[in-house]
Amino acid sequence: MEIMKRIFILLGSLDRRIIFLIVGLSVLIPLLKPEWVNLPIRPRPESQIVFNEINKLNEGDKILLSFEYGPSTKPEIHPMSIAILKHLFAKNIQVYGFALWPDGNFMSTEAFSEVSHDYGKKYGIDYVNLGYKPGAEAVVKGIAADIRALYTVDLKGTPIDDIPMMKDVVNVENFDFVFSLSAGFPGSTEWVQYACDPKNIPMSTGVTSIQVTDILPYVENGQIRGILAGMPGAAEYESLVEAALKEMDLSVKPGKASGMMAAQSIAHVVIVLFIIFGNITYYITRKNKGEDKI
Amino acid sequence: MLLKRHIPLMILIGVGLLTLFGHFINNEGIQNFVNNDATQWFDIIASFAIFLGALNMLKIQLMKIIKKQKNWQYSILAVIGFAFAIFAGFFYRGANFITLSDVKDGQLAVVSAIIAEEINESNPHLIQTKLEASQTAFEIDKIYMTSESAKSVIEKLHPYVDTIELKSKPWGAHVQTKGSLFYWMFINIITPLGATMFALLAFFVASASYRAFRIRNFEATLLLVAGIILMLGRVPIGGLIPWWAVSIILMFGISAISAPFIKERSLLLGLTSGGIIIIIICGTFMGWNQHPPELLSIPVIQDWIFAYPTMAGSRALMIGIALGIVATSFRIIIGLDKSFLGDK
Repeated sequence: MEIMKRIFILLGSLDRRIIFLIVGLSVLIPLLKPEWVNLPIRPRPESQIVFNEINKLNEGDKILLSFEYGPSTKPEIHPMSIAILKHLFAKNIQVYGFALWPDGNFMSTEAFSEVSHDYGKKYGIDYVNLGYKPGAEAVVKGIAADIRALYTVDLKGTPIDDIPMMKDVVNVENFDFVFSLSAGFPGSTEWVQYACDPKNIPMSTGVTSIQVTDILPYVENGQIRGILAGMPGAAEYESLVEAALKEMDLSVKPGKASGMMAAQSIAHVVIVLFIIFGNITYYITRKNKGEDKI
Repeated sequence: MLLKRHIPLMILIGVGLLTLFGHFINNEGIQNFVNNDATQWFDIIASFAIFLGALNMLKIQLMKIIKKQKNWQYSILAVIGFAFAIFAGFFYRGANFITLSDVKDGQLAVVSAIIAEEINESNPHLIQTKLEASQTAFEIDKIYMTSESAKSVIEKLHPYVDTIELKSKPWGAHVQTKGSLFYWMFINIITPLGATMFALLAFFVASASYRAFRIRNFEATLLLVAGIILMLGRVPIGGLIPWWAVSIILMFGISAISAPFIKERSLLLGLTSGGIIIIIICGTFMGWNQHPPELLSIPVIQDWIFAYPTMAGSRALMIGIALGIVATSFRIIIGLDKSFLGDK
């Protein structure tokens, strides 16, 4: 019994560097060898709703895709962008890229260039990237009122009147769906409050894990249709899209989020184990000090 | 006094009231102001604010260096980074590309081979097809950061092509052009640095939860139990945890929560152990190996926590914040709060 106590005390007083090393390895090994940890990905109802809503769109429909994330949140949100673009391009839906964050320009450029080539999509005909404008919620309100008052040129400097797919687009009401890839402010909340709810345009969102609790009330109210929650949400959407692409007899490149889920799973388990060991040690050391109250 | 305080205050009160009442007055002029003009004014001010913010940042960092304040060395990096971004954005495009037309007779295959080698295309016939199909000047799909590197390719192509030009992407568009200096800086410096900073959170969360997530009292225990369930429930591994393991976790959780109310340690231990044994016996006889009840599934418990307690908390916070914003905004609009003028 005494040996067990000592082991737990030792485990509970590990040096911070050892903890960092264990956490590092628990992330690194599954990333390098994903085949060692094969975890099934089951889509949650919220992810399934997002998929169904986008799947309901018809060929030629217009979707506003807003990029509100940057390099720090790229690992969580970018796989969602890629999976959604694959889904949209496979269904021949016209995609209009916007950005409420300056970094969003780079994210959208990268996402479009990564996917458009595989589906043979042409800039200005199948997709357009209008880019970032400063002003946060005012930009959303501007897009809801008159896009041309805000945007005179696209990200490449082409006048928007020269872009074929911008012909009949005046404001947010000309879109069939809005999807916000959001990592904070301005983001999904602003799209709900200033554009989609007042104009009654259906919207969905993909957010970072820490944002989920802020957005959930809108999802429960039906103002946002489903939610892709963090990297698990991205992996679930990837699996749904991959299944849909297979059904459509299209080539499928595996997404990044599914591969990263093993690393996240193991890391979470390691952190939980640390918490348990820490508490056992805390209990033993308190008892030894004569404080037998928890 | 009039210019610095009264006029700004009058503008604020006027615009604030107009915007507020604009939502309730059905007048086209006012509606147009609220929905269009005011929004554009905001955009213009926001654009200027970017310059103001950049200059302010530069001033703070330079003052830190000049006065050699604490950690002033980091400010040098900040200023260099700022200067480099300005240089790449406003002074050096680094987004050169080559266009060619009028390939000399019989030289199409040679030109295609040179271009294919340049853009790492394994199939030169693909380039040849594109060259043949191009109605106007053919653009080589590669961006050259320096004009010298582009010129060396031009020299290679020159004997086989009549018209060959070195061009640059337009100012502004160069920032988003793959291969330009600014794009290179973003992808190779800002992106890894940003991702690294965020990734460090995993280590700090592990270390902090190891040391601080303790069963100290009822509230801390509740937080700990909910935290563990959420951490496991959000990832696929949570769904693989067998029912008996979940029942043990739940029994420990219930014991931890009820511990502050049960003084006798042996009674608590007996109840916990008894509970675990009863659940495992019941589960074995009721065939839970095949169809465990939903209560013993971590993702289901996690969904319940998200759908009810978390949702209630989020809504309460949202309503509280909204009421706070209304109160603060009203104070500003009627001129009671003058903090925007520098008042404390």
